[in-house]
Amino acid sequence: MNKEYIVIALTENQIGVLNRITGCYLRRKINIESLKVSESSIKGISMFVISAYTTEEYIDRVVQQIRNIIDVIEARYYTPDELITQEIALYKVSSKMVESNGRIDALSRSLSARIIEFNPAYVVIEKTGTRAEIEQLRDDLQRRGVLQEFTRSGSVVLHRAPLDDLLHDLGENTMA
Amino acid sequence: MANKQKIKGAEALLLSLIEEGTRDMFGYPGGQVIPIYDCLYDYRDRINHILTRHEQGAVHAAQGYARATGRVGVCMATSGPGATNLVTGIADAMLDSTPLVCITGQVPSSMLGTDAFQEADIISMTMPVTKWNYQVTSASEIPRAIAKAFYIARSGRPGPVLIDIAKNAQVEEMDYSYKPCLSLRSYHPTPEIDEEGVRQAVEMINAAERPLILAGQGVVLSGAERSLTEFAEAGHLPVATTLMGISALPSGHPLFVGNLGMHGNVAANAMTQHSDLIVAIGMRFSDRVTGDVQNYAPQAKIIHVDIDRAELGKNIRIDLALHADARTALEAFKVGLKYRERPDWFAFAEQERAVEQKEVFAHTDDPAGRFITMAQVIRNLAEIEKGDAVIVTDVGQNQMFSARYSRFNASRSFITSGGLGTMGFGLPAALGAKVGVPDKEVVAVLGDGGLQMTLQELGTIMQNNIGVKILVLNNSYLGMVRQWQQLFFNRRYSFTELENPDFSAIAAAYRIPARRVTKPEELNGALREMSEAPGAYLLEVAVMPDENVFPMVPAGASLSNLIYHD
Ligand SMILES: Cc1ncc(C[n+]2csc(CCOP(=O)(O)OP(=O)(O)O)c2C)c(N)n1
Ligand SMILES: [Mg+2]
Repeated sequence: MNKEYIVIALTENQIGVLNRITGCYLRRKINIESLKVSESSIKGISMFVISAYTTEEYIDRVVQQIRNIIDVIEARYYTPDELITQEIALYKVSSKMVESNGRIDALSRSLSARIIEFNPAYVVIEKTGTRAEIEQLRDDLQRRGVLQEFTRSGSVVLHRAPLDDLLHDLGENTMA
Repeated sequence: MANKQKIKGAEALLLSLIEEGTRDMFGYPGGQVIPIYDCLYDYRDRINHILTRHEQGAVHAAQGYARATGRVGVCMATSGPGATNLVTGIADAMLDSTPLVCITGQVPSSMLGTDAFQEADIISMTMPVTKWNYQVTSASEIPRAIAKAFYIARSGRPGPVLIDIAKNAQVEEMDYSYKPCLSLRSYHPTPEIDEEGVRQAVEMINAAERPLILAGQGVVLSGAERSLTEFAEAGHLPVATTLMGISALPSGHPLFVGNLGMHGNVAANAMTQHSDLIVAIGMRFSDRVTGDVQNYAPQAKIIHVDIDRAELGKNIRIDLALHADARTALEAFKVGLKYRERPDWFAFAEQERAVEQKEVFAHTDDPAGRFITMAQVIRNLAEIEKGDAVIVTDVGQNQMFSARYSRFNASRSFITSGGLGTMGFGLPAALGAKVGVPDKEVVAVLGDGGLQMTLQELGTIMQNNIGVKILVLNNSYLGMVRQWQQLFFNRRYSFTELENPDFSAIAAAYRIPARRVTKPEELNGALREMSEAPGAYLLEVAVMPDENVFPMVPAGASLSNLIYHD
């Protein structure tokens, strides 16, 4: 059965690793839903967060093959409930939102979001939350007919277990 | 080499190769590697560079060299078309776990990405078919890149590595010093064996009534041939080999029950289906070995030992997976292993061998006595060579007959393109093998189709006096495809018939002694003449055009459904 699986991979910060990792999905024709690469808490080590819908059997094999990439230190897969996941989204809405709400702080409070730009033509709202929360606000604003533009980040995740666990293989060589 | 000296990148490359033990390499020059070739000119006494006639020939030669010697094969090509011509061989080496270091030239780093003349993004192109690849853009990176390349190519599950060197890096000066690569923090090629798993495995083996060892190329790659023999003898366990595992155990060993898979031996496949315990060592349960996985080894528990964790459980269900080097595992298995007679099981092996004798071996010659058959050629060759020759095959019927009827005394004696099935592999791989093991007799067994894919390497053989024997099994067909058309496509022989040139005349044009035979009574004399020839020799045998390889497990069918006849 297809489900969302999130792969977290820690890698050397090397050119080409991204292509090799996405190649493992491509070979099995699995479409990547979102992908984020950033420096991990350890300098020189990148963290990949990749989300895709597939079966457990497939994701298990994909992860095995990702692990075989020379520059990959460790890779594992998770279901969304095993991770603390947040996304950031920006919403550009027409400024009549503010007029009808009266005050800016009232508006942001009512949406549990932050206003980051405000001018007579439009307002840009930033919201951090789970995917469901982000999507709910989007749908809300759309229904009210004020949403002009919408953009979102991929997932920012932390797993409930500490990162050291993923990095156990590094041992004493961490700083090598 | 600790003290530093200022040299050009090209020279640093050659010194680094020498540090890694490179004595021979295969290559083809071009604009973006001229500086390296210029430097090679001064190093001719230290590196034997062999100029092939096509880059595909260079990479296959390096593969043959690596497979015959166990050392890393090295090849080189220019940028663009030179590099892309390597790709087939690199993919072949990837699937067959062959350690290679492939060096390509690249446009100067200032021109990367501009569609410069002969620029090809070979790094992206080879990503899925290399174990690792790296682009060097400054001379100072060269020693480290080469050190890593060799370390990665030969350690763990071996494989091909490509180093792409921008032209500016070849001509820049740098401070040279060399340090071999001994470890990488993201790469752990030697797994630690799980002691508890070993204990369980030994218990399972001791308890098995009908055990069968499946030996793959992993046994050869880890140098575990002796450990395998000792393990099998200590427990009195029958051994079958995969196509890539052939020659890991001498063919005459009393515990050897034959080859597995699509055109394997009856006993090896039947024993798989009746076994209660499969012990698979350094093999990957390819679809050519398993047939229909749902009906594979239905009665058996399966122990799978492999150095590549991604192989464990990839293709079939496993009862006990051991992530380990083959030799480590086989040595560990010997402890506490019980010798058991298992007379019924060995009687079953004998009975199935008799089935193959009756159904297949008894019918390999042309009953009318008119045609020579491929089976006959390989059997007679085996008798003449007495198991001491290295047999390098091409792909197709010639390959399967070679696998079935050759005999081997020593490991690394059967070199074939297993995973990719690359036609055109045979001739260049054989010349590479001969360069690697010049004291051994090396025979290339080729089809008329495959020979013509890399025929030009006869020029390499001529120019370098490479004493390789070339046996062409000419059936005037793309025989293996013709066989499938006959059996599964209603005898509609769509584009498989070949009108061939006079191969001995071609050999003669390359000043290679040659002979063509067509009648069964000429065969042995000609084989003997080939075997006694002091240098290269080409023997073309016109064989029966419609011979088929049997037995056969049709693609996707269960191993229990063998076809024996047309
Ligand atoms: C490069 C390549 N192209 C196509 C094939 C498909 N193929 C497999 S066997 C075969 C026929 C080989 O004919 P030949 O070399 O004459 O050998 P024979 O089977 O007749 O011994 C073909 C076309 C292949 N394996 N490799
Ligand atoms: Mg043929």
